[in-house]
Amino acid sequence: MKAKRLAELSVLTAVSLIIFIVELQIPNPFPIPGIKLGLANIITVFAVYHYRAYEVAMIVGVRLVLGSIFGGNITALIYSASGAVLCLLGMLLLKRIIDEKHIWIASILGAVLHNTGQIIAAVIVTQTVQIIAYYPFLLVSGCLAGLFTGLCAQLIMPRIKFFRK
Amino acid sequence: MKNKILILICVLIFFIGIIGSAFVLFTPKKTNVNIKRDGRLLYSFDLSNTEDSEIEIPYGNSSNTIEIKDGKIRVKEAECPDKTCVNMGWLSSASMPIVCLPNHLVIEFAAGYEDGVDAVAR
Repeated sequence: MKAKRLAELSVLTAVSLIIFIVELQIPNPFPIPGIKLGLANIITVFAVYHYRAYEVAMIVGVRLVLGSIFGGNITALIYSASGAVLCLLGMLLLKRIIDEKHIWIASILGAVLHNTGQIIAAVIVTQTVQIIAYYPFLLVSGCLAGLFTGLCAQLIMPRIKFFRK
Repeated sequence: MKNKILILICVLIFFIGIIGSAFVLFTPKKTNVNIKRDGRLLYSFDLSNTEDSEIEIPYGNSSNTIEIKDGKIRVKEAECPDKTCVNMGWLSSASMPIVCLPNHLVIEFAAGYEDGVDAVAR
C-alpha cells in the first residue's frame, strides 16, 4: 500500500474517531439502548464510496476498537461491531446500484442494517427474545439518523475532493 | 426509477417502525415481573403484593440497584457507563423490557396466567 494512501486512511480514521468521541459528550435524550446519531458514520459513508472494501473495513475496525477503549464502554463493542459488519456488507453491495448523488439512500439502509445487527447481537448475548421490542424504535431512529449522516456525507463530498488529488 | 423504489423501501421501513413502536408502547401492563440474566431467572415478583424494597444485583465489579415502589419496578442506580436502564424509568409495557446491556440484566413482565382480566376477576 502506498504511503499516501495509508496517510489518507489514517486521517479519515482519526477524524471519525474524533467525531465519535465528541458525540459521546452529547447527552442522549432517548432512554433506549442503541439510539444515537452516529455522526462518525459520515466518514464511513464517504469511505464506502471512495475507497476499496478492505480499506473501509480497516477504517471502521480501528475506529470501533479505539472508540470503545477511549469511550470506556468496552462491553458495547460486541453490539457495535456486529452492527458495523452488517452495515458495511450492505453498503458495499448497495454502492453498486446507488450512484453518488443518492448516497443518503444508501446511508439510511446502512443505518437500518446497523440497528438490525445490534438487535441480533443483543438477543444472542442476553438470550432474551423480548429485546426485539426495541427494534421498531431503532428502525425509526435509524431512518432519521441515516438520513442525517447521509446528507452530511453528500455535502462533504464535493468539498473534500481537492485533497484527494 | 431504481432510486424511487429504494426511497419507497426507506419510507416503508420508517412507517413499519412507527407502527411497531406504537404497538409496543400501548401493550398493557401485567403484575408478574421476572428479572433475568443471560436467560436465567434471578428473581420473580408479583408486584401487586410486594412491599416497597430495594435489591442490589451484583455483576462482576459492577451492580444494578432495583427499586420496587407502589407496585412499580425500575432500576434506581447502575454502575454501567451509559445508565440507559436508569433513564428508562418505571417498567410500563409488557412487550418492552428494561435492559442493561453492559450487565446483561433484563427486567420484564412475565408471560403468565396473570393478565389484567384475571387480576380484576380476583
